Amino acid sequence: MPEKGMRRSERLHMMGYEPPDRSDWVTGLHPMDDLLRGERLPHIWCQGCGLGTALTTFIAALQWLERERGWDMDKVAVVSGIGCTGRIAGYVRLDSFHTTHGRAIPFATGLKLANPEMKVIVISGDGDMAGIGGNHLIHAARRNLDITVICVNNFNYGMTGGQAGPTTPHEARAVTAQYGNFEYPFNLPYLAAASGASFVARWTVLHARRLEWTLREAMEHPGFSFVEVIAPCSTAYARWNPEGRGMDPEHLRRRGLEVMKYYKAAGRITHDTHPKDAGVKVDEKGLITEIVEGKFLQEVRPDLQEALDHLAARADKWWQVEKKALDDRPHLPKSSSHVPRTEVQLGGFGGQGIISAGKIIGQAAAIYDGLEVCFTQSYGPEARGGAAGSQVVLGSDPIHHPHLIQPSTMIIMSQGAYAKYLSFLAPNGVLLIDDGLVELAEDHRQDITTYGLPATRIAEKLGNNRAANTVMLGFWTAIAGAVSQDAMRQSVAESVPPKTIDVNMKAFDEGYRKGIEVLDRS
Amino acid sequence: MTYWRQPLDRDRVQVPRGIVHIIEERCKGCGFCVEFCPQRVLVMSKHTNPKGYHPPELIDDSHCVNCGLCALLCPDFAIYVENGGTYPPDEVDTIRRTEAK
Repeated sequence: MPEKGMRRSERLHMMGYEPPDRSDWVTGLHPMDDLLRGERLPHIWCQGCGLGTALTTFIAALQWLERERGWDMDKVAVVSGIGCTGRIAGYVRLDSFHTTHGRAIPFATGLKLANPEMKVIVISGDGDMAGIGGNHLIHAARRNLDITVICVNNFNYGMTGGQAGPTTPHEARAVTAQYGNFEYPFNLPYLAAASGASFVARWTVLHARRLEWTLREAMEHPGFSFVEVIAPCSTAYARWNPEGRGMDPEHLRRRGLEVMKYYKAAGRITHDTHPKDAGVKVDEKGLITEIVEGKFLQEVRPDLQEALDHLAARADKWWQVEKKALDDRPHLPKSSSHVPRTEVQLGGFGGQGIISAGKIIGQAAAIYDGLEVCFTQSYGPEARGGAAGSQVVLGSDPIHHPHLIQPSTMIIMSQGAYAKYLSFLAPNGVLLIDDGLVELAEDHRQDITTYGLPATRIAEKLGNNRAANTVMLGFWTAIAGAVSQDAMRQSVAESVPPKTIDVNMKAFDEGYRKGIEVLDRS
Repeated sequence: MTYWRQPLDRDRVQVPRGIVHIIEERCKGCGFCVEFCPQRVLVMSKHTNPKGYHPPELIDDSHCVNCGLCALLCPDFAIYVENGGTYPPDEVDTIRRTEAK
């Protein structure tokens, strides 16, 4: 059986898979063949399709970078999505991945962040980039992630038969827009630039030489670079639109060429145009009259990796300080007695410190008593005055269910919480209330033990009514006995603001003393 | 090359020359190379390749200046140009004259 740690080829061999004989691969016929998977040629793209030219220019740019800039082709990865353009990942002999529809950029994001030394290039179509994956495009651009996105725009969904898409010009025809497309298209460079891309360009595949130069620059650019490549779709888009002479039988076999000639006439090379003005202009019949081309934007800003490293270095400094504080904590003797699963429900209103109190119990039990603890909290949308509750489960044994099953003790500090939580308390359970705030109902449960303590009033007398929760904690510690007094004192001391430590410690001791008194009395 | 006047740097300029290679079985006959060749050295041939497309054909090798646009535009990796060295303009004219015969 295949085992973990075996080489992939060995595992495949054991599973009965033999790799294809590579000696018959068609390579070495063309100077670009060393970056192509020769066994997959000829590619599936139609006669006259611009995608082949886009791939040629891309490979030419890569070869130049390898030759002139010493790029290691083992450190280049190509990611593509679904569509005709998505096939590019399968034709390049580089590390490549053919992702699901629209998800090329998320994949590339992970690839780049995990391997910052890799050069990641996303090549995908307009439907994949602007349609299904539109959100990913704008967010990758916003983060200025150091990848190159080459979006090959053929104005429609070519692989599925020529449906109108997010880039189909207004009034242009498509198989699903037989009377003209009533929607308005994206201006992709404008979209990318507005989203935060730091390199934005557009070329048609006819301007192959300039496209190649731009691709070199885009791939070398530190930051998010977006290049829109306009390519003819000779089978689908050109069939319905006059650029490719439509269904004219004389040009049936030459539609791609006719579109290329059209690009030659319609292309306007104007570098540094504001991307807003760089739309594909069409006349009232949807005929493309002008394609503004060139490099529209190039600026160097800190990219995502740089920002991440910067922040990580700063966060590390903070962490060193926090870590020192944690290391300096006193080590109390861990309790050796077995504590059964104990569930505590705390309830009150926001601002009383109900959630802090739960956290203090959990911290004391987990860090100083060495118990297993689960802490959950629930509160209303209001920051203060709304209902608040927190739940603590603790015990010596591992906790397999993190929520309360039936709480055995309850700390209730408001009338609302009393009404809400009382019915959940286990029979023979212990209810601790702030009896200055909570009035027991006439039909109060008789199967439980109820202890009252005017915690808020005590805290007020001590000088800070916000220490009421600490008074209740002291009271609870004495009565429940699940967590040791020392652990609780330590936990309170490090959880409250430094200026209020004294009053809180007094409050805790007062609550604890009252608890012992109550126990002695009963 | 014929000039209406002699350029001043004619003795220093070198004209590059390319040797065109066509991989006929890969061609899909789109015609990009024929249409956009700046020196017009290619035409569509009359014969077909195994896939039934008409591949391009070289009519005038001597005019190719090794610009490589055909290789860059070809969607099917079916044409490329090899560097054939450089020649002084006078020599290029001689080559062309002899090849034209």
